Amino acid sequence: MTEMRKLAVVVFEDDVDAVIRSLGEAGIVQFIDIRAKLDEWKGTLTPHAVPAQIESKCTDILSRIDASLKALNLHPETIRHQRLEITRKRTEDVLAEVEKKLAELPVESIVESSTRLEERKILLDKIGAMPADEKTRIGTKLLELRRLVETEKRSIEEKSKLGEIRENLLNLQEAVKIERQVAEVQGEFARTAKTIYFEVWVPDIHLKEAIERIQKMTAGDCITSEVSVGHGEKQPVVLKRVPSFLTAFEKLTLASGYPSAHEVNPIPIMAITFPILFGIMFADVGQGALFVLVGALLAYFKRKIKLEEAGDIVRYLLVSGEMFVLLGLSAMLWGFIFGEFFGPSGLLHPIQLGRIGPFYIGGFEPMHEPMKMIRLAILVGALHMSLGLILRLVNNLKEHQIKHAPIPVCWLWLLWGGLLMWAQFGGISSISRWFAEGGAMLAGLIIAPLVLLVVFTGIAEGFMEGIGFGVEVFAETLSHTLSYGRLMALCLVHSVMNFLFLELGGVEHGHFPLSSIPIIATGTILVMIIEGLIVFVHTLRLHWIEWFSKFYSGEGIPFKPFRFT
Amino acid sequence: MLDPSLTGLIGILLAIGVPTISAAIAIIICGTAMAGVGTEKPELLSKLIITVVLGEALAIYGLLIAFMLISKLPNFTTMEAASKGLMAGIIIAVGTGAAGAGISYAGSSLIGATAERPETYSSNVIGVVLSEALAIYGLLIAFMVIGTI
Repeated sequence: MTEMRKLAVVVFEDDVDAVIRSLGEAGIVQFIDIRAKLDEWKGTLTPHAVPAQIESKCTDILSRIDASLKALNLHPETIRHQRLEITRKRTEDVLAEVEKKLAELPVESIVESSTRLEERKILLDKIGAMPADEKTRIGTKLLELRRLVETEKRSIEEKSKLGEIRENLLNLQEAVKIERQVAEVQGEFARTAKTIYFEVWVPDIHLKEAIERIQKMTAGDCITSEVSVGHGEKQPVVLKRVPSFLTAFEKLTLASGYPSAHEVNPIPIMAITFPILFGIMFADVGQGALFVLVGALLAYFKRKIKLEEAGDIVRYLLVSGEMFVLLGLSAMLWGFIFGEFFGPSGLLHPIQLGRIGPFYIGGFEPMHEPMKMIRLAILVGALHMSLGLILRLVNNLKEHQIKHAPIPVCWLWLLWGGLLMWAQFGGISSISRWFAEGGAMLAGLIIAPLVLLVVFTGIAEGFMEGIGFGVEVFAETLSHTLSYGRLMALCLVHSVMNFLFLELGGVEHGHFPLSSIPIIATGTILVMIIEGLIVFVHTLRLHWIEWFSKFYSGEGIPFKPFRFT
Repeated sequence: MLDPSLTGLIGILLAIGVPTISAAIAIIICGTAMAGVGTEKPELLSKLIITVVLGEALAIYGLLIAFMLISKLPNFTTMEAASKGLMAGIIIAVGTGAAGAGISYAGSSLIGATAERPETYSSNVIGVVLSEALAIYGLLIAFMVIGTI
């Protein structure tokens, strides 16, 4: 992430319009609204406001330009006009100049001549439609024709100027639009009697350019100085551009909030964990392969079709083409592990990857051994949450919050301690054994980290917060871990829904009769759309609620440089 | 005194019936709210669809438990097994009922609030997903009960 600098600038009143114009052209700074802070400088600085007549004048000129364009039947959007030069003039002078130029344009005479031409044409049509005996007044007709030729000649001359006029009008329009934005942004500034004071955010790499531009526009009559960022003040953030195949994950992450300045950006990590969790719930070799196919097609069309032209839903699908490929690959992998091919059809046999104590990694059919599946789900959940807690630790270290750093460590201790107790003595049904047989372990693995959590939070934030946080952590660890049980539930739902269609189609022991194909196809479409959507939303929720709540504040604000539109 | 297989069947009825009704209520309330917001701000619909999808998931949980119970039908010969089946049905019914109520209220408010101030979405959505978690707890317990049949 790019480092942000805060720059305080003082310029003379007469130069401020030019400075804003120049900075707006470059689009490298974000103006800070300092009106809220003016109380601190009472007596020195007062709010700066641009006279209201500038705004009304801009609106007035713009509506006149619009009216002229309409009268001449010109379409502004068909024209590309060249960029305007940046002047050092004040807004008032620019507007006056625009008004003068606008008055000079022969818009009215062109409109007039074209109406006259129209009248003549009507007249000529009338003469043509007259009965033969009334055409005797041939002289009148000739006279009319001669006038017509004259008018036409003049109007053709002027029409050739039409392109030029159009360009002029559009240039004037752009100039006024720029002046309006220049005036608008000054509402955030402060002033003394003769000078204007304002603050901007500028990325590190553009700092030099911004200062140069200000100096050039003021001819050196300015003060620019870097201000240190106040404690607790939110810096705007520029995110590193992610590769285009991660766009979908970026959108999913940012929908939950913008990362703040020194936080780990979770987008690339999410691109790995998201497909894994999705794959567990959607484990199926056949349907995973179909997902890969659909994703590849979408990714292909994404490069063929202009995204702006596509409809809303189509655009979402196109953007997520590569994501579908990743989700499909993961679904195929887990499909091999659980032995699913268009449901538990018996064609594939589950592959066991390993076994850690009571946790089996693959090697069973979820539908027939749900207890093994729920253990696996909880294990995956614990790993996922541990990753979140490690990222929390990294965030704390990056932000130099050394006092907060032991908190995620204790939390990890509690999480894995609880898991170990569960693996050793069994769940709630044998809770009495936790106290009877595992008293020492209980103290070391659950009570000790909880007490330390309260103590460390107490040191960092205060005693009452420590107690509150301890209760919160205990409840959250339990409920979030249980929440990963949905990995099991939705995996089973997936198997069961496919199983229903396999039964209907009469598939037995991996043998697909020909007559079953239409039923399986219908079922697959149904499952891929409805089930796929539900599984997707659940994966998203596991990330937003269970994972992000461990480390991601989502309270950052994006850097929006001031740029003329 | 009820017949064991009938008791088990009542369990299946509850397991599929109540969750579908809960899902319907959640979808009716959130779906209509979404339709209203969609006329003003269609760009928000893709975010708000989470309420309807989570509502629909309740019916899927019911389907899962009902299916598990059906696969245990041959075991419903004793009253003990049958009442476990009935209890599993009641557990998932109550769990999804509670979740349905939560999603309906929190979801429709979320939709209204998001239309007014989109930046509040990420905090408000927690109400909906936590309500939905209630159904998962019911599902896990129902599962464990079925495991003992």
